[in-house]
Amino acid sequence: MESLLQVNAIEKTYGKGNTTFKALNDVSFTIEHGEFVGIMGPSGAGKSTLLNVLATIDTPTAGDILVEGKNIAKLDEESLSDFRRDHLGFIFQDYNLLDSLTVRENILLPLAVAKTPVRETRVKVDALAKRFGIASILDQYPYQISGGQKQRTAVCRALVADPKLIFADEPTGALDSKSATDLLQTLAGLNEAETTIMMVTHDAYAASFCRRVLYIQDGKLSHELIRGSKSRDVFYQAILDELAKGGATDDAI
Amino acid sequence: MTLFDLAKKNVARNLSRYALYVGTTIFSIIIYMTFATLKHSGEISALAETSGQISGLMNASTFILLIFVALFIAYSNAFFLKGRKREVGLYSLLGVRKKQIGLILLFENLVIGAVSLVIGIGLGLIGSNVLLRLLLNLMNSDLSIGFTVSTSALVETTLVFLAIFLFTSFQGYRVIYRFKLIELFHADKKGEDVPKASPLMALLGILTLGTAYTLALQDLATSPLWGYLAAAMPLLIIGLTVIGSGLLFHSVLIFILGRLKANERWAWRRLNLLTTSQLLYRIRGNAKTLTLISIISATAITAGGAIFSVYYYAEQQVTSYAPYTFAWQGDKQDIDADVLAETSVMQKTVRVALETGEREYGVIDETTFRKLAADLGWSEPEPLQEQGVFLIDPFYDERFSEDVNDVTLDETMYSVASRYDKTPLNVMTFGGLFLVTPDDVFKTLPGEGTMYQAVSVADYKEQTALSDRLSTADNFSSATALYAETMAMHGALLFVGSFLGLVFLVATGSIIYFKTMTEAEEDRSKYAVLRKVGISKRDIKRTIRQQIAVVFLAPFSLGILHASVALFAFSRLLVMDFTVPVLVWMAVYSAIYTLYYVLTVRRFTKYVI
Repeated sequence: MESLLQVNAIEKTYGKGNTTFKALNDVSFTIEHGEFVGIMGPSGAGKSTLLNVLATIDTPTAGDILVEGKNIAKLDEESLSDFRRDHLGFIFQDYNLLDSLTVRENILLPLAVAKTPVRETRVKVDALAKRFGIASILDQYPYQISGGQKQRTAVCRALVADPKLIFADEPTGALDSKSATDLLQTLAGLNEAETTIMMVTHDAYAASFCRRVLYIQDGKLSHELIRGSKSRDVFYQAILDELAKGGATDDAI
Repeated sequence: MTLFDLAKKNVARNLSRYALYVGTTIFSIIIYMTFATLKHSGEISALAETSGQISGLMNASTFILLIFVALFIAYSNAFFLKGRKREVGLYSLLGVRKKQIGLILLFENLVIGAVSLVIGIGLGLIGSNVLLRLLLNLMNSDLSIGFTVSTSALVETTLVFLAIFLFTSFQGYRVIYRFKLIELFHADKKGEDVPKASPLMALLGILTLGTAYTLALQDLATSPLWGYLAAAMPLLIIGLTVIGSGLLFHSVLIFILGRLKANERWAWRRLNLLTTSQLLYRIRGNAKTLTLISIISATAITAGGAIFSVYYYAEQQVTSYAPYTFAWQGDKQDIDADVLAETSVMQKTVRVALETGEREYGVIDETTFRKLAADLGWSEPEPLQEQGVFLIDPFYDERFSEDVNDVTLDETMYSVASRYDKTPLNVMTFGGLFLVTPDDVFKTLPGEGTMYQAVSVADYKEQTALSDRLSTADNFSSATALYAETMAMHGALLFVGSFLGLVFLVATGSIIYFKTMTEAEEDRSKYAVLRKVGISKRDIKRTIRQQIAVVFLAPFSLGILHASVALFAFSRLLVMDFTVPVLVWMAVYSAIYTLYYVLTVRRFTKYVI
């Protein structure tokens, strides 16, 4: 079976002439079906650029991104949108919910755009809301609910179109520790149910929920840690140790 | 770095944001300057002597323009300040005193004012010269003029706008003193409940508008309401229309949008959900603006439509008042032009007792009448019976006039065989009211009779010299002179009307544009989310088009509806059919308005994606 995501030597250069800046430099890696991969690195290392490029929100200057063998770096604007809608799910640090829509409406938006029948939409949204414990707030507006509830709404929206791959960008960044742990357990649970997740974080605790962690520094992949059969606490310690080697430039804690 | 350096830097950095405000200000100055120049221009004064209404018209229009320009600038200034609250808050947070912030804003406003004044007056000079020529053209005047610079217009414009800038500076100062720091940072973060419309208010809105329309369509002559309320009636109609429009935007529109959003089959398709939500979210705050726009549009369309209609029918009016190019009392004269028709008319005068009093009629015989009818291309009159007469009354109005069925001439009764409501002879020479009697009856009527001449020539509009030569004759009337007069008056009216109409149109377009672009700033992040979630540019563009279309279309359609009712009432009052000129005017208005829509959609789309 083909890898879900295959990244081949991508580069991203900003600026023109003498003042160019390489945010990504020869990055290659693979993510298989059912993985839960964390991307870590200090601020400015290129984490967000990498995520944006993979998420097709930004385009790489060079290199290929293959999703199930299909090169998405070569798709045009409209097909990219469709691809994003049908195959990718997003969870952001600041939730990115639309405040003029109710929780239910926020979740069903991707389905509405894909012209899914009303009955099917309703069934899917209700099922997801029940699973993530937000069924009682479906008709409330984002400003009426808590941060944790907002993030669970965002998770539901990411999942509603049955994506192949979920991108999470610092999903716990704005949450208190209780809500953050809840969310991470939810993600881990999703992963066990065969959803592939790629999460960008600089929080070692959040990263310890992953099965594999990739480190990125100065636009390059530096190394990777694999959890294997280690317990989460042991893995957490390993990540912290790894970060400690990075020295003073680290902002992981 | 001094505060003024900071202010200067600020202007330079935020140029695009200032551009809108400066643009509005310059536009207002150009308009005012142009108008003031026209008002003070010697050529117009010369014309004003010949047609006295023009100077009065110009003065009244300048006053309307003054109020309007002041409101418009105050409005865009308020918008401008609203967009900058955060910046002011930041200064405040950094410890800059309110007084100092006030000074920065004052300084800025003065710089903007000075720059706009110089540019506006310069462009206004050019504009006024172009428009002056256009005006003379419309008025059919063959005066030729050079480039005019009017000192009094310059002084007037400068004074008016200095006063306005003083006012807006004060407005800015007040904003700073009134708000609290905490509000600045949460100004647009606060969640607002999505508005729910009470069906009762929606119903009330429709009822109010319905009442206003019913009142407007009452017949001026027969309705008892006009009798009771008299002069208060127009005020009542306008008041009810404004309230009704307000309620319509405040409740009816929200009610409809709420219903649409609740309909899942429709709402859960594409971005319909987002379109309705965004509109709902915004509409209550916009209700006042939308009402204002609908009222301004209605005023501009009504005034423009009425004026254009009158201009459109001016020529028809001339020929109905003076069917023959020239008419006079006395003998034939040499006509050195291409004569189309020529008739000598012998007229006697009788006084006839009617129910409402005595009336004086001119009497002509049947043979003369047949000749006139043939000259004018009327259908051939049926032969008169012995005891019959034709009655000609161009002023007949079924609502006011008495129905005259028989007349007594020289103690004999004649019945009216047929009534004509147009006159075959120039009203200014003959008076317009005629009785046509059989030839032998005419001969037996007492009195000598007076000889008149009626002549039609080709190209009657161009016969000024001939008209002047003939004008010494007794009871002279000339279609040429009447046409020139009518054009001078209606031309000026049309000019002023379309000028103000255009100003109003630009104002409504700009207000919506300002509002929409302010919203674009707030909405930018929302559209970024949509892009990230995988919604295509095509879908986003569609929802933007739809949202802006509603904001443009709703007040405009209501304005058109108001104007249609008003023009219908007006045309019935004047007994004229306005359909063609009004439709032409509305088409022109809509076309320019559509241009605004397209521009706004483009800028909005470019800004958010």
